[in-house]
Amino acid sequence: MHELHQPDVIFGLSPTLFAGSLFVLTYLLIITERLNRAIIAMTAAALMIMGGVLTQEAAIQGIDFNTIGLLTGMMIIVGITRDSGVFQYLAIRSAKIVKADPWGILVMLMFVTALLSALLDNVTTVLLIAPVTLLITDTLKISAYPYLFAEIFASNIGGTATLIGDPPNIMIGSATGLGYNDFLFNLAPIAILILLVTVIPIYLIWGRHIKADQELISKVMMYREIDAIKDWRLLKQSLFVLTLVMFGFIVGHDYGYQPATVAMFGAAMLLTLNCLPHDQEKQSSMVARSLGEVEWITIFFFIGLFILVYGVESTGLLESLAHQVIDLTDGDKTVTAMSILFVSAVASAIVDNIPFVATMIPLIKSMAVSFGGAEELLPLWWSLALGACLGGNGSLVGASANLIVAGFAERAGQPIRFLPFMLMAFPMMIASVFISSIYVYLRYL
Amino acid sequence: MNASEAMDPNPTTLKPGDTIECAAKYIMKHRYRNLPVVDDNFCYIGMFGVNCLLKLVIPKAVFLPRGLENVGFIHESFADLFHRFDEFKDQPISICINKDIKSVAPDTPLTETMLQLYNTRASIPVVESGSCKLLGMISYWDIGEKIIAAGDSEDA
Repeated sequence: MHELHQPDVIFGLSPTLFAGSLFVLTYLLIITERLNRAIIAMTAAALMIMGGVLTQEAAIQGIDFNTIGLLTGMMIIVGITRDSGVFQYLAIRSAKIVKADPWGILVMLMFVTALLSALLDNVTTVLLIAPVTLLITDTLKISAYPYLFAEIFASNIGGTATLIGDPPNIMIGSATGLGYNDFLFNLAPIAILILLVTVIPIYLIWGRHIKADQELISKVMMYREIDAIKDWRLLKQSLFVLTLVMFGFIVGHDYGYQPATVAMFGAAMLLTLNCLPHDQEKQSSMVARSLGEVEWITIFFFIGLFILVYGVESTGLLESLAHQVIDLTDGDKTVTAMSILFVSAVASAIVDNIPFVATMIPLIKSMAVSFGGAEELLPLWWSLALGACLGGNGSLVGASANLIVAGFAERAGQPIRFLPFMLMAFPMMIASVFISSIYVYLRYL
Repeated sequence: MNASEAMDPNPTTLKPGDTIECAAKYIMKHRYRNLPVVDDNFCYIGMFGVNCLLKLVIPKAVFLPRGLENVGFIHESFADLFHRFDEFKDQPISICINKDIKSVAPDTPLTETMLQLYNTRASIPVVESGSCKLLGMISYWDIGEKIIAAGDSEDA
């Protein structure tokens, strides 16, 4: 950590108390959703510097540019790829593979959502899949609710499977040096199992009752998915770059290339391929449009949070909290891992999992000495990843993707209400975390 | 010159309770693009027109914010569109009133009125200042006829 010279007293408080209070206040403000979360995080970060807890240099050191770069790079790649129409093609094709059978479509869209969420970010995935879902259910004259519910679950479960699937994994990977393959080999198997298990209650609750007229089914079968592809040249370029980026994630770790480097290089390459045939003016407008696809609110939220958490960490508060956690669990790794898993899941269902994970990372890192080294922390990292990602399914506010789907449902006249959703989703989420706990226990403890 | 001198003071109007089928037939018969909707006190509520009718026959998913950007894969017939229209035809036009079209006050200067007409790309309502009473409508044709008539009188 950067050498810091903090003042003894900040606004009448010790640096630890000041940083801790600012941290809690920031959390509370984020929960109230009265102000945009990026504004809150940036203000907190600025106060952390102005209060003297961090210097500007130290604050910049606290920003995890691997997370920022990976997110930004992937957002640019996906933003460009989306214009090709390939995601709509996939959704329609999957519906036709099952002959537009309503239950078959639900399962297929669930798997497509999970797969895309593992390879892209969850919000992008549901933005692409939910409108097609609403179109299909509208055509079949059936309720979209079970489909959207299943897609919310699939997006969060799919996102759990890979390093790039969900922001908590990106943050954990970046902070620990765990690579794409580590996440794939350790989390994908359990994510697949949980996805398969999740199909059962969805079938029992809704699936067995979903029926549609044959005439309407034939309308869905008349969709020509090939016409969903708007730009074949862009499609080829995008698939080439996406394949290259995935390959880079898989092999890059061994050559010392961080995921952010791979994603940013992929983004630059796709922008080059896309812009090359056009004149200077058109290129500028295309680049501006692609950069506009980046969710800058999320990026600045991350930057602010990293500085905030780094400030709290620099006061020694998180280390002291880590010791208290270890005291509470008697230094038992199994109890600690299970506590992290379940607490992360419940917390992520209630509050944004990004600030939660940002806080937990230095806290878990501080436990390395007590547990006998960084290698011994692996079960805790997997517990955090599983809890934070799967916890997003616990409520409508548990993940950004959930709110996006709910927004679509609301505007389509089939609202997903907070309480009815939670009554179904929370027990299912707890069941998935329970399965995860067995997995973590059997594999790592 | 101002808006009151350019308007048609006796425009055709619709009531919010009129059915979509009835309004659609009227609009199609007279080739209107938009008609003002007023309540029993002639208070201006909004506009109903062909855009709304198109919206009703196109799949809903298309109009969701950040919804389907490409619908080239959907191949439908007029019968399919009619089936979609059929679901809405007995509903009141109040479900599809466009309230985004800005009205002008009767004393709005002509140039400002013209700019409003240009930006709206549809007929604009003239509403009494300080109330919601519809005083008239200004269409491209009203304005165009008056401009040409002014030229003719100068030539004469």
